[in-house]
Amino acid sequence: MSSKATIYGFLFVGLAVTLALIVAPAVYAVSLSFYQMDSFVGAPKWVGFANYVAVLQAPEFWRALLNGAIYALGSIVFQVILGIGFALVLNEAFPGRNLVRGLSILPYLLPTVVVILTFKWMVDGGIGIVTKAVEAMGLPPINWFESPGAAMASTILVSVWMWTPFVTTCFLAALQTVPQSLYEAARVDGTTAVQRFFHITLPMLKPILTVVVLLRAIWMFNKFDVIWLLTRGGPVGATENLAILSYRHAFNLFDIGGGAAIATISFALLSVAVLIYFWVFPLEDD
Amino acid sequence: MTNDKTMTKPGGVSRRTLIKSAGALGTALAAGTLGAPAVWGQGKKTIRFLNTETSIDSIRALKVACAEYEKQFGTQVIVDSVPLDDAFTKVTTSLRGGQPYDIATFAFVGHVLLLQAEGQLMPLTELTSKHKWGPKILFPVKDEVYWYPYDYNLAWIYYRKDLYEKHGLSAPKSYAEMLKNSQTLTGDGRFGSLFPIGSNGATNWLAPGFMWAEGVKLFDDKWNVALDNAEMAPRVTRYLDFFAELYKTMPSGASQASFGEVLSNFSSDKVGHAAYAGRIIEALERNAPKLSTQYGITPYMDSTGKAKAVNHGYDGWVVLKTPNSDESMKFMAWFTENQYINFLHTAPLHFQPPRLDVYDDPRWRAHPLIEKHKDAVETMRGFITDKSIILTSIDTEGPAPDLRPGKVFEGFVIPEMLQNKILKNMSSAECIKTAADKMRKLIA
Repeated sequence: MSSKATIYGFLFVGLAVTLALIVAPAVYAVSLSFYQMDSFVGAPKWVGFANYVAVLQAPEFWRALLNGAIYALGSIVFQVILGIGFALVLNEAFPGRNLVRGLSILPYLLPTVVVILTFKWMVDGGIGIVTKAVEAMGLPPINWFESPGAAMASTILVSVWMWTPFVTTCFLAALQTVPQSLYEAARVDGTTAVQRFFHITLPMLKPILTVVVLLRAIWMFNKFDVIWLLTRGGPVGATENLAILSYRHAFNLFDIGGGAAIATISFALLSVAVLIYFWVFPLEDD
Repeated sequence: MTNDKTMTKPGGVSRRTLIKSAGALGTALAAGTLGAPAVWGQGKKTIRFLNTETSIDSIRALKVACAEYEKQFGTQVIVDSVPLDDAFTKVTTSLRGGQPYDIATFAFVGHVLLLQAEGQLMPLTELTSKHKWGPKILFPVKDEVYWYPYDYNLAWIYYRKDLYEKHGLSAPKSYAEMLKNSQTLTGDGRFGSLFPIGSNGATNWLAPGFMWAEGVKLFDDKWNVALDNAEMAPRVTRYLDFFAELYKTMPSGASQASFGEVLSNFSSDKVGHAAYAGRIIEALERNAPKLSTQYGITPYMDSTGKAKAVNHGYDGWVVLKTPNSDESMKFMAWFTENQYINFLHTAPLHFQPPRLDVYDDPRWRAHPLIEKHKDAVETMRGFITDKSIILTSIDTEGPAPDLRPGKVFEGFVIPEMLQNKILKNMSSAECIKTAADKMRKLIA
């Protein structure tokens, strides 16, 4: 077998796996959106674009779209700000730095379900340790999930806690590639730390910032597990995003076609958003 | 470009050999996996049982029963256990995938009806007709029964008898009394009650009981939404207004509370009232033995003190139409005659028998917890034999078993109605209209 044949062989295997595990299910999901189906049992009925029309006319869809955008934006902003801050601290020399660096990644390593269940028990209104601590301090109880705003804030808080370490790790790696000579030259010129951050550090981090924001945006916009385990999209749909709405239609409301239509629209919206993002922040410029 | 030969170390393995070996190994494994079912098919019979009772005791009892069956009849029964929420998806995808489960557990009549309508279920009338059953449990379709129920999970109200005695209270018979008792028990690090209001199954199960006692019907006899009609709207209004007041006696977090939170708050002495089935007594025995003699149980009550209700809940097994249907039917006949009580004993107070003969069966009554809590057991029995007690639930509402109330159940219409009232401070009239509109949309 020649080297070329070997390359084609590997390419074929990769392509076949991608087709079988990603493209085929995605095409199947899109095809389901054109049918009316109660369940996966029984004959589906072709309804054309009726599912799309119904979904786009439903206020729940637009609410879920807005919720998804708020959740993604809120999570990304805090993750990036905190991630850069922690990375700057961890990039400095101090005793036990390696240990702290290791510990800082810990929340990212914990399984989502463990984090969520722990958080829910910590803030339980009757027996939660946080509730008891707040009570002991003489403060009024915190209603973590009792209003739409509080539920969204709690969901963002948990997401920030879980994924800031990932952002920190990315930025920390990027910071270590910034030549020290740039900082030394800037110090000689009499710049302040803030000036060095905005004129050296941030521009040098821009390529990684672009990628991190993109990845986080995609992951947060499609986030299912955290929201489902924390609030199931409640109260009154206040934290329901498109991923949850799609799941509920397909597996709770006996509307697999509607669920597939929501997932397809979500995919299309995200694709357009990614294209616009790369148009506004082209990686080639860096 | 690197030549293949340059990659071979003297005496080592070349890349080409490695790739070929890996390919051969993969092919052999794939062939082995694909061929396996054919090999199994030639051997002893195997049936697959999807179980949703995930406690260790229940799984162990099933496995012991299946081993016994295999020993006696030579048929292997493989038990897969999954959380209840996953059961329907698992069954339908297994059907779609060509390797269906032969027996499955369901806790939602809508799923049974849906599979029956698609011709996927075996009628079990032959088995169920051997016994007398409690009310609203067999859900027949055209005189045929398509599942074998193994429990009622009725939801009723628990209260603390010791605290009631301390404060001179008596079991509540009306909304006003329930509210007063709950307010009285609020304090000393304890909340008056906990009834979930979140968009989850716990709320669907534990919160509407007061509404049923008030005489609310979700549908009329022709499946029109009745929630907002002239007769029902005032009743729902009374229910919502009462619940909003009761909410003030609950700990924060009721909007996220699920089964676990209700169990733990009551058994850890944090709330004076909660709703559940028999599981709470089992939890008290396990985690708070001192409280296991300090609880009282009572049905949900209406605003006038005249009507009582319990919220329906149930579980059962279905036999699917598969190439193994005959063998599955044989197993089900054997299991329900010989192992039924053993299985019920794995949650002795939570699995309330739907078969009326079981209540007088000395084997069932011999369980220590059933013996110890015989007064509660008699009260539980009364919930299904006393015709004055309303027995209904969101998913079993309406003139006949149907998927429509199931959609209302899964659409979390009633939980959202409560949330609109309590968390968003909407007027009761507006809450009812929003809920009724959503119901109409869901069942359209």
